[in-house]
Order: sequence, then C-alpha cells, then structure tokens
Amino acid sequence: MSAPGDVAARGRVELRGVGKRFRVDGRELTVLDGIDLVIEPGEFVTILGASGCGKSTLLRLLAGLEHPDAGEVRHDGRAIAGTGLERGLVFQEPRLFPWLTVAENVAAALLNAPLDADAKRRAVAGHIAMVGLGGFERAYPHQLSGGMAQRVAIARGLVNRPGLLLLDEPFGALDAFTREQLQDELRALQAREGFTTVLVTHDVEEALYLGDRVVVMSPRPGRIRAVIAVPLGQPRDRADELLGRLHHAARAALRDTLPLAA
Amino acid sequence: MSGAAYAGAAARPAAPGRRAGGAGRIAARLRAGIATLLLPLLVPAALLLLWSVASDRGWLPAQILPAPGLVRDTLLDLWRSSDLTRDAGISLGRVAQGFALGGALGLLLGAAMGLSRTAEDYLKPLLTALAQVPTIGWVPLLMLPLGIGETLKVAIIAKAALVPVVLNTLAGIRAVPPALFEVAAVFRYTRAQLLGRVLLPAAVPPLFAGLRLGLTNAWKALVAVELLASSEGLGYQLVWGRQMMQMDVVIAAMVVIAAFGLLLDAGLGRVERRLQRWRVAA
Ligand SMILES: Nc1ncnc2c1ncn2[C@@H]1O[C@H](COP(=O)(O)OP(=O)(O)OP(=O)(O)O)[C@@H](O)[C@H]1O
Ligand SMILES: [Mg+2]
Repeated sequence: MSAPGDVAARGRVELRGVGKRFRVDGRELTVLDGIDLVIEPGEFVTILGASGCGKSTLLRLLAGLEHPDAGEVRHDGRAIAGTGLERGLVFQEPRLFPWLTVAENVAAALLNAPLDADAKRRAVAGHIAMVGLGGFERAYPHQLSGGMAQRVAIARGLVNRPGLLLLDEPFGALDAFTREQLQDELRALQAREGFTTVLVTHDVEEALYLGDRVVVMSPRPGRIRAVIAVPLGQPRDRADELLGRLHHAARAALRDTLPLAA
Repeated sequence: MSGAAYAGAAARPAAPGRRAGGAGRIAARLRAGIATLLLPLLVPAALLLLWSVASDRGWLPAQILPAPGLVRDTLLDLWRSSDLTRDAGISLGRVAQGFALGGALGLLLGAAMGLSRTAEDYLKPLLTALAQVPTIGWVPLLMLPLGIGETLKVAIIAKAALVPVVLNTLAGIRAVPPALFEVAAVFRYTRAQLLGRVLLPAAVPPLFAGLRLGLTNAWKALVAVELLASSEGLGYQLVWGRQMMQMDVVIAAMVVIAAFGLLLDAGLGRVERRLQRWRVAA
C-alpha cells in the first residue's frame, strides 16, 4: 500500500458560516446552521451527534454531493464545487454495486485513478486483506453479511488514498472486536500517511479514541455545540485515564444538546 | 449457493458432511436436471394424447383436425423437400433483421429518454401514442412508401419489437437507485463510464424483459405480415395450407414457428442469466 508522496501537505478544510436547508413537505427545514470549523492538514476529526443532527449532510457537503445555502466550504483554499478524487467518501450504507464482486467493487474506486493495472491490482488486494476479507474477493454483495459489505465499502473508500477522507459511521454495523481492529488499522494508516480524516459517529468512545478533536453537534438546527481536543498521540490506550475524563465532558455536551435534557 | 465455493477452506471451514459425497451430489444434480427438462413437457404430452384420442375416435373431421401422425409425416416431408427449411430460413431472416433494427433503435431511444428528461418530454407522448396503434394497423400506411416487399415486412417487425424495448429500457434506467449515481460521482465516473458501468448493468433485468417481449412481438408480427403479403415464409405456409384445406401443413408450420420462438427466447434467457450471475449465486 504505497502512499502518494505529497498527500500529507494537503487536506486543509475550512467551513465558514455554513448553512443548509431542505424543503420537506413544503416547509423549509434548517439542517445546518452557522457551521464554522477549520481542519488542519493531516488532522483526524470526529463528529459526534445525535441522530438527525446533520452529520451526514455535513459530510456530503465536504464530499461535494451537496452545496451549502449559506457560507462556504473550502478544501485546500478552493471552494468545493463538486465531487473530486482528492476527496473520498465512505457512505453510511455500503452502497456496493450488486453486479460486481468484492474485488471488482473495490477496483471500481480506482477506475479513474492514475495508476497502472498492476498497481491497482496490488492496491485492491492489499485493502481487501486489510479489512479482513481475504478469500472473499470473488463473492458478490448479496453473499456478504451487513458487516462484511460495510468492510468492502471501507476498503473501497481507502483504496484511492484521497487527501481528505470522509467516513460516515463506517464501523456502525460491525461487531465490537472487528470494530476495534478496524479502528486501529485506520488510525495507524492515517498516522503513517497523514491524510486528513473526518469521521462521523454517534459512539462517544470511538469519537474520543480516534479523534485529534471531537466536534459535538446539536440538532435542529445542526450546530457545533463543543469542540473537544484530545491531546494524545497515536497509538492510544483505550483505558487511558484522560479518555475517561473527556468521556464525561463529551457526554455532558451531548446530553445538553438533547431536547429532553432541558 | 455454497460459501465454500468462493471462501476457500481457510476462511470458512466447510462442514464435513458438505464436502463428502461428490457422487451423491452429481446424482442429485442429474435428478434435478431431468426434472426441469421433463416437467415442462408434461402438459404438452397430455394435450398430444388428447389430440390423438380425439382424432382416433373421429370427434372432429380429419379435414379440421388431422391426426398427429399425419402432421408428423407432413413435417418430415416438408423438411425433406427442404420447403420447410427454406421457408423457415426466410422467416428467420426477416425476424432477425426486424428485431435487430427495432431492438437497437429501441435500446437507443430508451436510453436517450432514460438519460435525458428533455428527450423523454419530446419523444414519450409520441411513442406512447404510436404504441397504441396495433402493429397490423401500420401496414396500409407503410405499404404506400415501402411497397409490399421485404422492406415493409422488416419495418413492421422492427416496429413491433421496438415498442416494448423502448418502454422497458426507459423504465429500467429510471429505476436505478440514485444512491449508486452518487457512488459513481464520488469516483468521478465520466458519462460514458456511468452509462456502461452503472446504468446498463443495473438496468439489465428490465432491459432483457423488454428484449424478450420485443422478440415475441417480432415473431407475431412476422406471421401477421406474411399472412397478408408474402409468397414465402412460415406465415405463407399457414395461408397456403388453409387455402388448400391442408390442416396438417398449417399445424406443421405452427409447430415450427412455436419451436423457433421458444428457442430464441431461451437463447435470450441464457444471455440474460449470464449477465446476471451476481443474482443467481454461482
Ligand atoms: N435530501 C434531503 N431532503 C430532505 N431532508 C433531508 C435530506 N437529507 C437530509 N435531510 C434531513 O436533514 C436532517 C439531517 O439528516 P442527516 O442525514 O444529515 O442526519 P445524521 O446526523 O446523519 O443522522 P443519523 O445519525 O441518523 O445518520 C434530517 O432531519 C433529514 O430528514
Ligand atoms: Mg447520517
């Protein structure tokens, strides 16, 4: 798994006063409001929030699949106008092509990548092995369990090695053991190669264990409630005392966002 | 579908009972194969029996319902005199031309309408209206510019094949989940890549439904135009047989038409299944 050399230097993200509205049933619904956030190159940011607070929408804005109604979203100084190979997105659902095998699905991400066939083949095999699906290269999506399909989607999202990687609850469908294993894989890979990463989750522990910073969002409209820095290097100890203390802070911030708390 | 087929022993240890007894599995396969071959023949065999009893007992005059044996002999005679093969060849050629033309045009139009709302707005009402006019209804109009030769026949067959192909292709492309378009967008697929690697594979089932319907329509149209205006072909054999009151010839021609239709449909079905290996687990 070779890294494109200058990736580490890139991947700065700026969100300035970002707002997003949807029309639902004839009514305007403000999903994101006044989002200000700067993510430095090589940073690993996790986004934590209750269901429906606009986490996926935020990632889709960063991916270029949606456009903001207010403010601006920039990647390396340029306004994001559409999707780009320099930004990778792992969707909340696997979204595999059902007519392609596991290996073909992962390779589908490399269709327009500037690599020769041999490099592509090696990258595909390496990433399938990384998510623990060696031996399933020729299986079709309907032959996989939900967690296996999600792992294929993760491999597909990583194989491109984008400068900015966006992951929408990538480990949600996995068992605890596989989840921890893939968390470690992802974090090690990211520490090694330095791509900027934004990972959405609603698991407080995961957010703290992975993130250099944890962005806590509040719903209706989606706003940034708190940003918690995690001043720990990598690799981390899951039992680290500081993680425990931050856990309380994060939970408190999250609890405050829920309407029931008031 | 057995997991072991692709997983390999290391990834998923196969249950001992599953791997053992390869001979038993082959026997089971054989039984299943014979069953799938024989079952569809059951009803035709019963009808054949009824037919032979009916003609034996003289329930219907022989001029109206010839004996199965006579039809068989006629079939063989026609085959030997190569009348039948010639007629069948001519008919097959007409269907092939008309279906190729109508099918290709249908795929093109359906894809254009599926990909572009503008194209759909322009073409859909017209096509829907044209589709309402029965195929044979086109004959008088088309006879004037095209004459009653081959061109007319091919045109009519093409029209018959075109309609279901267009409508099913359009519906198929429209039914592709938008979620997959987003995946293609993330990986920066070009329009051609989107078409070839997402739209077409996703639309294979309805697309083939359209093609098979189109082929059936093409055969029906063939017989209709040959009945109306032809001096050769299977449809012509039908007319000729009826005029001569030779019902054995009529039935023989019908048998050949049905057999061809069945074979071609089965051929398309095979191609379809090959393209859809991802559905029928290998
Ligand atoms: N295309 C859309 N049209 C209308 N409303 C939308 C659309 N996309 C999202 N929304 C609305 O925006 C809100 C936020 O949705 P989003 O998917 O971003 O939430 P989320 O934080 O990712 O939730 P979850 O944790 O459940 O995935 C929801 O109320 C949803 O109904
Ligand atoms: Mg979401």
